[in-house]
Amino acid sequence: MKKHIYLLAAFLGLGVGMTHAQIQKGSVLIKNATVLTVTKGNLESSDVLVQNGVITQIGKNLTAPAGVTAIDATGKYVMPGIIDAHSHVGLDVVNEASAPITSEIRMKDVVNPTEIGIYRALAGGVTVSHAMHGSANVVGGQNATLKHRWGSMDPADIIMQDAPRTIKFALGENPTRVHGRGNGIQPRSRMGVEAVIRNGFNEAIQYKKAWEKYTLAKTQKGNTLTPPAYSERLQTLVDILDGKIIIHCHSYRADEIYMLINVIKDFNIKKVVFQHTNEGFKVAPEIAEYTMGASVFADWWAYKMEVYYSTAYNAAILQKNGAITSINSDSAELIRHLYHEAGKTQRYGGLTDEEALAMITINPAKQLGIEDKVGSIEVGKQADLVIFEGHPLSSYAVPQMTFVDGVKYFDRKADREDQRLWVAATEMVEPIFLRANEEAHRCMQDVDKYFEAFQGAFEKEKH
Amino acid sequence: MNKQFLKAGMLGLLVAGWLSQAAMAQSDPTGKRRVTSTYAITNATVFKAPGDPGSRATILIKDGVILGVGNSLSLPKEAKIIAGDSLFVYPGFIDGAGTMGIAKPKDVERPKDFVSSNPADEIAGITPWRSASDSYTAASTQVDDWRKAGFTLSQIVPDGGMLPGKTALVLLGDGKTNNFLKLNTALAANYRSSRGMYPATLAGVMAKFRDIYQNTSLVLDHERLFASTAGVKRPQATPTQLAMMPVVQKQLPVLFSASSELEIRRALALQKELGFKLILTGLENYESVIGAIKASGTPVLIKLQVPDDKSIKAQKADGVTESTKAQYARVKESYDKALKQAAELEKAGILFGFSTADAKAGDVQKALKAMLDNGLSKKAAFAALTTNPAAILGVSGLVGTLEKGKLANLVLTTDTLFKEEAQIKHVIADGYVFDYEIKKKAVKAEATTAKPEPASNAVTVEGLWEYTSETPAGSSGGEITLKRENGVLGGSITYDDPTGSGKASAPIKNASINGKALSFEFDVAAGGMSLTVTISGEINGKSMEGSLSVPQMGSFPVKAKLSSPSQAN
Repeated sequence: MKKHIYLLAAFLGLGVGMTHAQIQKGSVLIKNATVLTVTKGNLESSDVLVQNGVITQIGKNLTAPAGVTAIDATGKYVMPGIIDAHSHVGLDVVNEASAPITSEIRMKDVVNPTEIGIYRALAGGVTVSHAMHGSANVVGGQNATLKHRWGSMDPADIIMQDAPRTIKFALGENPTRVHGRGNGIQPRSRMGVEAVIRNGFNEAIQYKKAWEKYTLAKTQKGNTLTPPAYSERLQTLVDILDGKIIIHCHSYRADEIYMLINVIKDFNIKKVVFQHTNEGFKVAPEIAEYTMGASVFADWWAYKMEVYYSTAYNAAILQKNGAITSINSDSAELIRHLYHEAGKTQRYGGLTDEEALAMITINPAKQLGIEDKVGSIEVGKQADLVIFEGHPLSSYAVPQMTFVDGVKYFDRKADREDQRLWVAATEMVEPIFLRANEEAHRCMQDVDKYFEAFQGAFEKEKH
Repeated sequence: MNKQFLKAGMLGLLVAGWLSQAAMAQSDPTGKRRVTSTYAITNATVFKAPGDPGSRATILIKDGVILGVGNSLSLPKEAKIIAGDSLFVYPGFIDGAGTMGIAKPKDVERPKDFVSSNPADEIAGITPWRSASDSYTAASTQVDDWRKAGFTLSQIVPDGGMLPGKTALVLLGDGKTNNFLKLNTALAANYRSSRGMYPATLAGVMAKFRDIYQNTSLVLDHERLFASTAGVKRPQATPTQLAMMPVVQKQLPVLFSASSELEIRRALALQKELGFKLILTGLENYESVIGAIKASGTPVLIKLQVPDDKSIKAQKADGVTESTKAQYARVKESYDKALKQAAELEKAGILFGFSTADAKAGDVQKALKAMLDNGLSKKAAFAALTTNPAAILGVSGLVGTLEKGKLANLVLTTDTLFKEEAQIKHVIADGYVFDYEIKKKAVKAEATTAKPEPASNAVTVEGLWEYTSETPAGSSGGEITLKRENGVLGGSITYDDPTGSGKASAPIKNASINGKALSFEFDVAAGGMSLTVTISGEINGKSMEGSLSVPQMGSFPVKAKLSSPSQAN
């Protein structure tokens, strides 16, 4: 039915389309490709049929139903849309760095669907990104899982509404620097970080009890109990304790990783993913047993003291120990070639094609709690797909088309020079200069701004 | 009740009492007191409301109230006659939300034990109990400027942080009386975060807004329980919660400043989540969000300005690459869209008025003309200046049209409204008449050559002026060089380079001297943007005092001293 309305609207020349809070779902038949399903092996010369945003058939010699476009992908590869489990693309704010716990902050409030980084990510085959709060606070804000529906002007249209809630935690140097050294409050050390988390959860338990007591009393006649204060900060911690939110914890050192594992064991929390995790290889069996794994860089470390000790074999070691492992970008630049980053696990660790591709598809999907919806090419899943020229793990791989929900949002052959969604009416058009050393990593964005108000000296490292 | 307001009211009564006594005893020694408060505008072309084709009528006003509009009014002897034969009369314009005459309250000093993660509301810009009336000065040049542009009533918005306080309706009448028509008309809100403390970002502001709202709602529950049941501990609402209560009870709207599409969407989302009454103000880019505004039923106040066309004018026809041309086209497309937005609002049937905040009074005609040239109907523009804001502010019974019993707020023009030749000759606000000089068109000026100014009145304008101005960013200054060439006043100005250290220089344009009043403009370029700054002031001997106004930022005091008169003088 909806399709008819769109067709009618297009015929009448009305500007319906993406601006009207209506998420588009597409239908397409991709023919004769090497289908890299990730979970069900590779299928040579096969077709993938997408109807109304969902994969409905995978097989050979499928025919396109009436009105469904067929794309010849002979000699090309189709893989699931790439998922980046650590990104700050499409956010107007990254850090509310003003308190050690800011779990009431919602990144969904500050999503900017017009940020060009989203389109660039699509051009690198990334269809889902985990738009995270930064690492300035021990407990940061609640993250947003985005679907890269480029062209939508309404933030609600690019937020993956059926993804579970996730939240950012951060250990080590960043929160101790911002709050301890920067502001003279707890945490000033790794011990302080642990204390902040434990105190936070204990306070949340009291908060939950107080509300349960009030809710019960309220219904009784002659009740004199008054409502407790409302705190979305504590309520969010309660929701973590109740298993409704997945923790994504910025971490580097083995000791702090093990510390958080002990904390979550004490509070009976199961849903934790470690981010960065550069010393994860030292505690890989523990990560595998107690958590939802680790999301790591392929080969990047030594940008500050706590991250001097690492190895490019980190991902492979974690994987071989049975930890769910993903490769992430944390960067508007790296996000464009995550398939290349995943390939590094073959050079350092000898992972199979399927294992390497899982690092940027089904594994991050599991860590975001969306593995039943995306992350592999299977019938019934949302049709987030990328067509590659060359195998995606080859150094010569070039993404050709990227689909989200069966709608094509990137096509290398139809890639306009200017893809901006919004241009200011007063913009002075000036010659463009390419800048080197551009600040690509935004884990600590907004922190400097926050601090310059009362403190000049601030270290340069940001991750 | 607002104490300041009470005090002002008491003072007003005292002064009035003293004045009336004085009037009985002796004549007014200052010569400034008006002879009568009764006026009749006779035989004018009167447009009572948007859509009225206009008809000949006489309007009688007394003590700030319209006594009648018609052709058979008997005029009392004390009525001062304003011959309206060649005049066109409209209801006075209403500013839906403005900052004219508003000063920023002083920052509250931080206590020694200040905790940036949990600062006191007052320090963090959360002061909903404040009233705009407390920081309003009627004797402000901004008020004069907007009155001159036809405005007779403004909803003034307090300056401050994310919840700076309550707005108030103020009449732009005589500055010496109490001009407040209504206090606490809306709660002002915006996305301004606090520097170096919670909430430090937009994300923090959103969370803090929810927190305040929900806790106010709970305090109300507590109060109800306390009132109905014995043995309940007493409620202890904070000043913030007390001031938020009428918002949570949906008695008072939130006037949310949201200029961009994303800001508008964020405010609409917050409204949907919490359910408060909402008025959006300061809309600048809203083309793609008109559908969402319409669906939400939210009234809006758009900025009374159009985008600067400097970037359009700077586009070069030759010597640029194809890709630059493509970029030009996109800017042009955005520019054209921006001009059409107001017409789109009209088409969508959204109730909208104007906000003067961040706009320039001198550019009103230009802005309205651009909107009319791009599809806005004259009727809708008229309504957006009068009946729409009256409805949005809940004062349709008092203002917005010319009817018996309404407040005497009128605009008298020399031609029909929106005509290019039309000039405002009188503005009547709160029953006070303000007269304005009508500029003769240059061509016609020959016939009625203006008398040369008497030598004693001539002021020295040419030369090198050293000026200083006070802006929120601090004190800055430079040199103004003014010179007449072929009878045209021009020159240059230096200013602190916004892109770095040192001074930058810009040519002076549109300079004019009228008696002692000097005004000119210059352009400042920074970060790919270009702003037109206007300096206007009055010259007295070798010094000049006035204001420097910057679009988006407001007006700031400026002082200049003539340091070296040129040889010509």
